[in-house]
Amino acid sequence: MLAVETKKLTKNYKDLTAVDSLDLSVEQGELFSLLGVNGAGKTTTVRMLCCLSQATSGEAFVMGKSCKTEMPQVKSLIGISPQDTAVAGRLTVEENLIFMSRVYGFDPEKSKQRTQELIGIFGMEKVRSKRAKTLSGGWKRKLSIAMALIGEPKVLFLDEPTLGLDVLARRELWHAIEQLKGKMTIILTTHYMEEAEQLSDRIAIMIEGRLAALGTLSEIEQQAGTQGLENSFVAIAERGVQR
Amino acid sequence: MNRKMAFASRNIKELLRDPLGYIFCIGFPLIMLVLMTIIDQSIPKESVKTFHIENLAPGVAVFGQMFVMLFTALNISTDRGGTFLMRLYATPMTAGDLTAGYIIPMLIVSVVQCIITFIAAFIISIIIGNTLSIAGMLVCILTLIPSALMFIGFGLIFGVLFNEKTSPGLCSIIISLGGFFGGIWFDAQSTGGVMLKICKCMPFFYCTKSARSAMTLDFSGEAFLLPLVIVLVCAFALTALGCFTFSKKMRADLG
Repeated sequence: MLAVETKKLTKNYKDLTAVDSLDLSVEQGELFSLLGVNGAGKTTTVRMLCCLSQATSGEAFVMGKSCKTEMPQVKSLIGISPQDTAVAGRLTVEENLIFMSRVYGFDPEKSKQRTQELIGIFGMEKVRSKRAKTLSGGWKRKLSIAMALIGEPKVLFLDEPTLGLDVLARRELWHAIEQLKGKMTIILTTHYMEEAEQLSDRIAIMIEGRLAALGTLSEIEQQAGTQGLENSFVAIAERGVQR
Repeated sequence: MNRKMAFASRNIKELLRDPLGYIFCIGFPLIMLVLMTIIDQSIPKESVKTFHIENLAPGVAVFGQMFVMLFTALNISTDRGGTFLMRLYATPMTAGDLTAGYIIPMLIVSVVQCIITFIAAFIISIIIGNTLSIAGMLVCILTLIPSALMFIGFGLIFGVLFNEKTSPGLCSIIISLGGFFGGIWFDAQSTGGVMLKICKCMPFFYCTKSARSAMTLDFSGEAFLLPLVIVLVCAFALTALGCFTFSKKMRADLG
């Protein structure tokens, strides 16, 4: 069974087509990156896969469940860390995690155990009692990802997880994401070529809502006829714009 | 139930950790209680009956509930403005879980606020030598529960429909209208004419009227039962409208 599958997935907003007939297949355990400039349709795609937006046409499946007709089942299989950190500011790190675990229906004992586990994974011991709004950007992102992981998702969506972070915080977060690789399917959207290059098993490049290229780094380089992801991306994007 | 209570617990913690919550929901009504008592003690006894402690305390309790409305609206509009609600939309939480999670803590806060107001009023009443009836206060606290729900309903609607900049402004309008037409700061009953007609068109008037009647243990139909029924109808209508609006907005957000 595929972790994520879309068939001719399309989203229109009045006179704008944000996602245009997108066909994607993501295997279980894969770290799959969606690359694209602003407005390429990455976040809209993620929103449709997370049941946060209805497709205008086409279909989307997560772990074989339809995002249109089996929304509760899909929601129990996924975790999302949105572009904004989306944490409860006046709650502590620990309280945020316990809150989310209760949202997923865990009993108090399981909640505590899962919270402790994630605090350990993300090295948040020293900030566990700090209120979320007092945390630095890097810690907030870690908390946001930990909150997305608390429900033990089969598919984790990370929407531009390192946006606005300094280089050290970004590297630290990459390390945390690398630790999750293989344990679940991860769909990552990003602007940063280096990030996609470092973390991804496969990469999809979206241009104006369409899939412009798909494959491993070397396959994308071959498709673009250049070396390095940044050069390949620019070549593919320019080709896409000219089309 | 678990999800509703988890969200309610989060909301109550957010409110209790906001210093502004204490200033507006408790501090301001208490200041008004003390200030109006000082005014009442400084003017001839029979001139303004509204400021007598047995009339003032229920009025101030209703006034305080209006600030709970403000915080309900602020809490919801702030959550909607960020992506926190969006994160929750992607979980198994339903619109019912979310609205209950907003309403329950605000109802608890409102009852606690009411109890604090009456404890303060009781102390003041002892100091000024006009001790309030404990039975009257207890019945009054219970009578004020539907009116708390009504103001929470207003807050829910404003929080869902407007952003965090607009919703407090609209709540301020309700607070001003409520204070004025609810007869909190003057005896609306004695005004007569167009003014009384306008007051009677507003639900706030009946909140104050039923609460004041409860305070004096006057359970007559006209003074207590009819106003209470009107408040109950308004409370259920506004809360139902708030829940419907939230659910509709959630569907639109997910469109």
